[in-house]
Order: sequence, then C-alpha cells, then structure tokens
Amino acid sequence: MEPKKLCLALYTGSVDKLTAAGVILGGAAADDMKVDIYVLLQGARAFRKDIGDNSDKLPMAENADLREGFLQSLKNLKVKTWVEFFKEAKAITDVKIHICGLAGKVWGGEKLDDFIDLADDICGISAYITSAQEADVNLFI
Amino acid sequence: MTTEELNKLHIAKLVDARGTACPGPLLEAKKAIGSIKPGDIMEILSADEGTKVDVPKWCTKQGHEYLGTIDENGYFKIYMKKK
Repeated sequence: MEPKKLCLALYTGSVDKLTAAGVILGGAAADDMKVDIYVLLQGARAFRKDIGDNSDKLPMAENADLREGFLQSLKNLKVKTWVEFFKEAKAITDVKIHICGLAGKVWGGEKLDDFIDLADDICGISAYITSAQEADVNLFI
Repeated sequence: MTTEELNKLHIAKLVDARGTACPGPLLEAKKAIGSIKPGDIMEILSADEGTKVDVPKWCTKQGHEYLGTIDENGYFKIYMKKK
C-alpha cells in the first residue's frame, strides 16, 4: 500500500512553532508517512548553519514574555530540540526538506551548503504546489 | 483483556519510555517493533497520558493488535501484539 503523504509548508522560524512541527513530524514518522517539508521565508532563517537549534537565536511566535519558562519546561520534560525531532523523523521515515530559493536568499543562503544538513535541496514554489496537490494531509505552520 | 490476563502475557519486548514526553513513547514503540516477530507481545511503559490514546490508534492504523492498558502508580503499562 502506498504510504500517506504529509506536505508541510514551514513558514515559521520561531522555536515554539518549530518544536510543534517536530512533534507532528514524530507522529507522521510513527505512521510511516512520506513527508515533504517546504521551508518558506522565516523558516529558512532557522535552517541557517549559524542558527539551527540554538534557541538563543530563535524568537518565540507567541508569549514572548514567557520564553525562559517555556524553554526551561521543554528541558525539564526532556523534549528534543526541533532539529533533533526533524533528524529523528528523517531516520524513521521518508522526509525530504526543501528550502525555498527566495527564502534562502532573503537570509543570505544561495546554496544547499549554506544550510544545516537536514535540508535536501533548494526548490521553487512549483515544487511545493505540486507536492501539496498530491498530499493526503497539508499543513501550514 | 483483563488486568490479570495482561499481567500473565509473555512479553517479547519491553519499552520503557517513562523518561520521554509525547511523541517519545510512540516513537520508541515504533523503533522497537522492528526487533520482534509477528505475534510477539510488546509492553510499553509511559508516564505520558497521551500515550494511552496514541498507541491504540497507532495499532489500528498499522494493523497491530492493541491488547489493553494497566494504570500503575504514575505510569501506564500498554500491551500490543505485532501483526
């Protein structure tokens, strides 16, 4: 049977939403889903080599004033970082991560090598639309 | 199955995921399932309330048989049979 496909448009570059995306990826991996992630605008910043899971360099999408408590709580609960979640999902199921070419350029990255090794390629928007049309589940985070 | 029946099962694989939060226990189960044979029983220990819901749903989708859950003091013992 053909695996179900999840297409995720990852616009966010915030630590809280990236962590949520990581949790969802974990669920998709447990279900052996095929996952396509398209990293858009703010998301591409988080994929820069000098940022990644360095939470000090990632903003909060919501409740910025509660940031320290949020991060401490994640640590206390032994929750993986967003990069660790993404890596784990890639190790379990077919996850491909595509950096939007425009988004990369906005943050000074033109080549795949400019981003952390989670990224598989740099793509155009048509690739995202095609993947979204084919997917069983579409998410925008 | 009753608690008594669950406690008498022969466990082929024990997954202690009490140190992890969602989706940790589910992913630990997912990783471990490959190491046992069809028909074998796996026991998952989790202190995460969500696992009680996740594992039965995951079993249904993957074709495994969910056998039941025992509520211990502060954690759960969840039993499943590999398809």
